[in-house]
Amino acid sequence: MSMASNDLMSAHIRVFNAGNLRRLDIWLSAIVLVLAAIGVMVLYSTTRSTSSETPFYFRQMMFIPVGCILALTIMCIDYRFLVSMAPFFYVALIGALVAVLLVGVEAKGATRWLQLGPIRIQPSEQSKLALIFMLAWYLSSIGRRVERIHYFVLTFVIAAVPAVLIFQQPNLGTAATLGPVVFAMLYAAGCKRSHLVGIVVLGLIAAPVGWTQLKDYQKTRVMTILNPAADELGSGYHTTQSMITVGSGGPFGKGYMQGTQTYLSYLPEHHTDFIFSLLAEEWGFVGGLVVLGLFSLLFMRSLYIARKSPEMSGTLLAVGIVTLLAFHVFVNIAITLGIAPVTGIPLPFLSYGRSFYLTTMMCVGVLLSVNTRKGLFI
Amino acid sequence: MNTDPQKAQYEGFAGRIYFVGIIIILAMMVLVARLWSLQVVRWDEFRTKSTSNRLRIQRLESPRGMIYGRDGLESNVVLADNRAARDLMFVLADCDLAPEEITERLADLVGIDEDALLEKIRKAEKERQPHRQIVVKKDIPRSTAARVEEYAYALPGVFTLVRPVRRYVFGRTGGQLLGYMSEVNRKELDESDGAYRMGDLKGRSGLERLYEDTLRGEDGRMLVTKFATGVPQLRTDPYGNPYVENLVDSFGHNLRVEEEIEPSVSGESIHITLDIGLQAKTEELLKGEEGAIVVLDADTGETLALASSPGYDPGVFVSPRGNRERLDILQGKPNRMINRTFQEVYPPGSTYKVLMAAAALEEGVIDANTTFTCWGRFHLPGVRRPWHCWRRVGHGKVNVVDALAFSCDVFFYEVGQELTVDRIKEWSTKFGWGVKTGLDMRGEVSGLIPSREWKEKRLKPKHPNEPWEYRWYPGETVNLSIGQGSATATPLQCAVLMAAIINGGYRVQPYLNEANARIPEQRLISEKHVELIRKGLRKCVEKGPPAPTGTGHEAYIEGVDILGKTGSAQNVSLKHHEQYETEEDIPKELRDHAWFMSGVMDREPRIAIAILVEHGHHGSSAAAPIAKDIIEYFYASREAPEDLRLASSNGSKTGGERP
Repeated sequence: MSMASNDLMSAHIRVFNAGNLRRLDIWLSAIVLVLAAIGVMVLYSTTRSTSSETPFYFRQMMFIPVGCILALTIMCIDYRFLVSMAPFFYVALIGALVAVLLVGVEAKGATRWLQLGPIRIQPSEQSKLALIFMLAWYLSSIGRRVERIHYFVLTFVIAAVPAVLIFQQPNLGTAATLGPVVFAMLYAAGCKRSHLVGIVVLGLIAAPVGWTQLKDYQKTRVMTILNPAADELGSGYHTTQSMITVGSGGPFGKGYMQGTQTYLSYLPEHHTDFIFSLLAEEWGFVGGLVVLGLFSLLFMRSLYIARKSPEMSGTLLAVGIVTLLAFHVFVNIAITLGIAPVTGIPLPFLSYGRSFYLTTMMCVGVLLSVNTRKGLFI
Repeated sequence: MNTDPQKAQYEGFAGRIYFVGIIIILAMMVLVARLWSLQVVRWDEFRTKSTSNRLRIQRLESPRGMIYGRDGLESNVVLADNRAARDLMFVLADCDLAPEEITERLADLVGIDEDALLEKIRKAEKERQPHRQIVVKKDIPRSTAARVEEYAYALPGVFTLVRPVRRYVFGRTGGQLLGYMSEVNRKELDESDGAYRMGDLKGRSGLERLYEDTLRGEDGRMLVTKFATGVPQLRTDPYGNPYVENLVDSFGHNLRVEEEIEPSVSGESIHITLDIGLQAKTEELLKGEEGAIVVLDADTGETLALASSPGYDPGVFVSPRGNRERLDILQGKPNRMINRTFQEVYPPGSTYKVLMAAAALEEGVIDANTTFTCWGRFHLPGVRRPWHCWRRVGHGKVNVVDALAFSCDVFFYEVGQELTVDRIKEWSTKFGWGVKTGLDMRGEVSGLIPSREWKEKRLKPKHPNEPWEYRWYPGETVNLSIGQGSATATPLQCAVLMAAIINGGYRVQPYLNEANARIPEQRLISEKHVELIRKGLRKCVEKGPPAPTGTGHEAYIEGVDILGKTGSAQNVSLKHHEQYETEEDIPKELRDHAWFMSGVMDREPRIAIAILVEHGHHGSSAAAPIAKDIIEYFYASREAPEDLRLASSNGSKTGGERP
């Protein structure tokens, strides 16, 4: 714990170093840009049916440079500095989450937003990255002590505090993303496998208790996924229509701008959570395969960065971010394919939505930043 | 253990990173497998679902076929057609004013509930369906539509939709024959297999019901791509044809028409023989009474008028207002739903004597010279109680002509005895009595001419061991001979009988639909015998002096060869009448029904008329004058219109004026 602050004191670190830009990872940035471009193209297709004053694709195009600048800026910041600041982020996050529960803005039956003057922020969105930093700070600080049970359990306590607060909002989707992140980071930090297995077994035992804690609509969603046909017009509507949308695309798709399901608004929210359905409808199995391939490449490249990081904190940051993104991609697409309950999880890089897109690009920035120290000291 | 906690590397570190990678790759493989299953394996299934998802059949309603009749010399007179009902509508998307402004103006202009309309507009706005067509007012009058048109510039977004609505041009005239329509019910919807939709009208009585399948057109259809939530919004031109360019749904999505439009096919028209002018005249003559008038073309059986009183206006059933009126028609007393000309029976009374005379002459029971002496009473051997003639002092020695002219009962008592009930029954059936005449309408009743078989069939099951209960008695034949007893007939049957006398003995088949025309071929009475009967019936309407005044003299018209026969149909037993001193004292509901059947020999076309006035008491006073009015009206209406004649005479004057 003391070492991190010592680093900062000893001024070996330049907090901001524009020279990092020279060490830009071409693979990672290229994949990110290609995915963003695909997102805009798919969004352009939705403009046929949505009579918004500013089309989604256009707004998304505006976010992309902002996101890129954000990512490059973060890349230039030494992530070790950010990691050392993690406890402050964490405390600020807990404060914000508590504030949401107390004075948050309510919409659609959930309280997720904080109104700060003209800005409306969603702390649960930031919580993912903040928690990754906090865990990276904590796990890198304790080092091999992670093999001891107390330190292992404390990791879960650190994660559980924001998770429970988010769950209370209620925001099942976001709360659920935190779990895999904690597991992956603990695993990468070198915890004992037996501890992980133990906690999974414990979780399975505790699951029935957790079920009773779910809100009715959340239960319905989970039930729907088990049998979508039972409730076609209610909660199963999305699932059924999304499956029709994807399935009707066939191997090669209906062609760009030729989709009917999404165009005729059978599938609501197709520009956000169900954008993959639209893509699969118009571009078919081939298009879906390409996108899944790009995501896989992105994750593999990120894991490569994690492995090559000279520091534990960098490795943990990269692993946490990869897990976060991969979980989003998996759950989002699984929802559109009808194998996961509808939980409002967007698809990184493709879904329309400024807040989430910028969070994603921050993640990319951190990955790039970790990459800049590749090969040093080793 | 690594000495530097900052250093990532520990034993097995790389393996753990690889393991995370493998988990991620496996997760991606799961997605790929699922994608394969949906898009490649189950492609067909989802493609079908997607297609049926998006295509919607938009129905284009068809106008109902017209009903044409006649009026005097005019044919193809429209009796029932479709008027364009204008519904005033509003679409928010086309309106650049505040909704309050519009509703206020509309309230001023057409008088609607401002708040209710505003609420509907707000609802559409809230549901983000600005193109939803909101009904401002249904079926606005033409004047209102004109006013809305006039102020169109101040009413953006307001327009009219035109839809066909049944119109009965002559209102209640002939209303019962045309019939009424009402909405189909749930059961009919289920059974119709998609032919009818909610809110469709269906013929419930009269021609509307009988020719439902003919009159009903074929709906057109067009296939449009449909948005998940919107409802297609059709607009119509002033003729009610739907616009198809710029088809939008309630959200404002443009809808694509996928296939060629199948236009609706209007229902087929039907032409009936009804003379609407004559029908109006006959209905007017029955005004305030309950009764029926039938006018047939005696040579063809064409039904020129079938008036039944009271009637109703079928338009009430398709008008947006008038629920109470509808209820009154359906449930009020006296029954307005039955057509008394062929759906109600009355004792035929003396009109039956014409049939008796025809049967007796044809059977050779009597001839022109056969006479019976009427002493005012008639005795059957072994029966103490005598049968009286209506004229207690008797008619003296009468032949068949006089017996018909003066309606001598005793003559026909005698004839009946010689004819026997079996032959009376046989001849009645030939003339369409006691059976349906075969009019091409629903619900014709047959009336009843009693017979041995009938009595046995009716009463034997009840009293199998008491033959006196079901045996036919000679006294019953006596009653039947003058159309009393159990005998009943419809006014239509009387008219058919009369037509046979007029046309020289042919049994006509009455019909209303021109398509059902049939030339009468079955001759029942020979020319010689018909002439005898005509003679009697002619004498009946003659006015003396010098000739003795007949019972139907009130139908007499100078210079027209009119036949007639009065009748009084006993309603209750005579005993009831005997307690009153004069006829005027008898309460109306106890009085006899008044019959008069009549015909015209020397005009074209020859017509046969049957008139029944319920509780009219005497055919001579209550019914015969009506015949006179009908005859006068009918032949006047068939002369060339007055102004036409004037025009031609003027023309000849100017063309060939001589000094």
